[in-house]
Amino acid sequence: MSDPQPVPAPAVVTAPGGGARTPSAPRRAVRTVMTDYFYLLPAMAVVLGIIYYSIGYTAWLSAQDWDGLSPDARFVGAGNFVQAFGDPMFWATLRHTAIFALVIVVQMALGLFFAVALHSRIPFGVVYKVILFLPVVLSPAVTAPVFRRIFDANGTLNGVLDAVGLDALMHPWLADPSTSLYVLMLVNIWHWTGLSFMLYFAGITQIDDDVIEAGRIDGTTNATSFWFIVLPMLSGTHLTLAILGVIGAFKTFDIVVLITGGGPAGSSEFLSTYIYKQGILQFDMGYASALSIILLVISICIAIFQTRIQRRKGHA
Amino acid sequence: MLEFRTPAGRIAFQVLVTLLIVPFLYPLVVMVMTSFKGQGFVANYSAVLGQPLLPRFFVNSTIISVAVVALTYVCTMMAAFAFAKLRIPWKNLMFYVLLAALTLPPAVLMVPLFTTVLKLGLFDTYWAVILPLTALAVPFTVLLARTYVIGLPDELLDAAKIDGATTFQAFVMIILPLCGPITAVIVVWSMLAAWNEYMIPLLFMQDPAKQVITQLPSYFLSEYGSDETKIITASVITSLPIIIVYLFLQRFIERGLTAGAVK
Repeated sequence: MSDPQPVPAPAVVTAPGGGARTPSAPRRAVRTVMTDYFYLLPAMAVVLGIIYYSIGYTAWLSAQDWDGLSPDARFVGAGNFVQAFGDPMFWATLRHTAIFALVIVVQMALGLFFAVALHSRIPFGVVYKVILFLPVVLSPAVTAPVFRRIFDANGTLNGVLDAVGLDALMHPWLADPSTSLYVLMLVNIWHWTGLSFMLYFAGITQIDDDVIEAGRIDGTTNATSFWFIVLPMLSGTHLTLAILGVIGAFKTFDIVVLITGGGPAGSSEFLSTYIYKQGILQFDMGYASALSIILLVISICIAIFQTRIQRRKGHA
Repeated sequence: MLEFRTPAGRIAFQVLVTLLIVPFLYPLVVMVMTSFKGQGFVANYSAVLGQPLLPRFFVNSTIISVAVVALTYVCTMMAAFAFAKLRIPWKNLMFYVLLAALTLPPAVLMVPLFTTVLKLGLFDTYWAVILPLTALAVPFTVLLARTYVIGLPDELLDAAKIDGATTFQAFVMIILPLCGPITAVIVVWSMLAAWNEYMIPLLFMQDPAKQVITQLPSYFLSEYGSDETKIITASVITSLPIIIVYLFLQRFIERGLTAGAVK
C-alpha cells in the first residue's frame, strides 16, 4: 500500500452496464459482429460448464435418493429437504455459522486499530504489517497442524498458562464441545484480520489529511477525531467487511476439516463440512445435494441483500 | 493520524500495539520452534526433505497453479475486453451470470463435481482440479479486469480501427500491453488461490503421487502418526515459498486483496 497507484478498487460487486457507455461510444458504428462473441466464449464456457452445470446437477440430485455409485437414483421429491429441516445437525450448523460470523466484529476492530496505528507513523510499522498479513497468504492447510498443537490439551497454550500461573484456565480446548467452535473463531481471526487491516489502511489513505488537521485546529483530540471523523468516513469499508464476514462464514471449510473435523460431537460442524460428510464420506448424494441447495439459496439471499444495501448507500 | 505530544504517550501506544500483535506472531513462532523439537532440527528437516514424494507435491502444485493462472488469464482478459469495449447483445445479462457466481460457497460444487469426476473417470487427473479452480477464479478476476479496461480510453481503439487494425489486433497489440498492473494482480492472486486451495484437491487427488502441497500435512500425518514435530516441519517447509513470494510481491498481493474484497 506504499504505492497509491490505483488499481480500480470496486470493493464490492458493481452493477454492470454503465461503464461501457463512454461518451465516444455512440460515434462508433453500432454493428454487432458475430466474432465478438468469441471473446466471451472461454470465460462463459468455464463458468457455465462448471459452476452452472454443478448447480443444475445438484438441483436434480436434491430430489433423488442416490449413493453416487449405483446406476439408479430413486426420485424422492422434496424428501431430502424435509429430512434436512427435521435434522438437528442441520440447524446446529446454521447456529454455529451465526456464532462464527461474529468473528468479523473482532477482525474489524483489530484491523481498524492496526490501520490507524500504522497511519500514525509508529516505528517498525513494516514489521507489524508483515506479521498481520502473513496469515492471509498462508494456507489454512499448512497452519492447521500448528493450531492443533497450540490448542491441544497438552499444547503450547496450556503450557504458557501453566508457566505464568494461570493453570486454573488450562483447558482441553479442542476436546471440549463447548470450546471447539471458539478455537475455530480465533483461528479465523488470526487468518483474516490482515485483510480487514489492509482494507482499512487503504480506506484511511483516501481520507484527506486536511480534514483531520482542520479538526485539530477546532480542538479535536485523538479520540474525538477518530470517532467523529475517521470512523464515519470509513462507512463503505465497514459495510464491505461486514458482508464479507457473513459470506466468509458460509464459505468456511478448510479450518474446520483440518482442525476440529467438525467435532467433538458435531460441536463445530458447518453446513459446508456437513455436506462433505454426507456426500463425499457417506455417499448420500441426494441429501448432500439438498443441503447444498439450501446453502446456495442462503448465499443468493446474502448477495441480494448486499446489492440492496450498496444501492441505497450509493456504492453500486 | 493519531498524535502524541509526550514521549510517554508515544511509548505507551507502541507497547499497546506490540501487545496486540503478539497473538498474531505467536503461531508463527510456535511453528518454527516446533520444527526444532522432537528428534531435533536436523532429524526433522532431513526426514521431511528426504521424503521421496515431497518434490512430487511441489511439482503437482506448480503444474496446477501455472495452468490455473494461464487459463484464468486468457479467459479474464478476453472477457474483460468484451465486457468493457465491445457491443454485444445480452452483454449485461452475461456479466450478471458471472457475478452471481461470486458469493457461491465452493462447498456447493462438491457433490456434483465429485459424482461427475467419478463418472468420467477423471480421478487423479490434473484437469479435475484445474478446471474447477479456474471457474472459481474467473468471475472475480473478470470483475477486476473489466473495471480496469473500462478506464482505458476508447480513442485508442478508434485510432487502431482507422489504421486498419482488426478487433483482435487491437486487443492483442493495444489493450493487453496497457493492462500490466491489473495483469500482475490477476496472476499473483490466482496463483496464490490455486496454490493454497485445499478442498478441491482433497476431493479429486487421492493417489499420493498426484497430491499437492496443501495435502502434505495430512499425508505426513499418516506417515509419521503422532510425531507432530515432523508434520509441523513440513508446514514450515511448505510455507517458505509463499512467504518468499509474499515478501517479493507484497504490493501486488495486497493490491489484489484490497481490490478483491469480494473473495
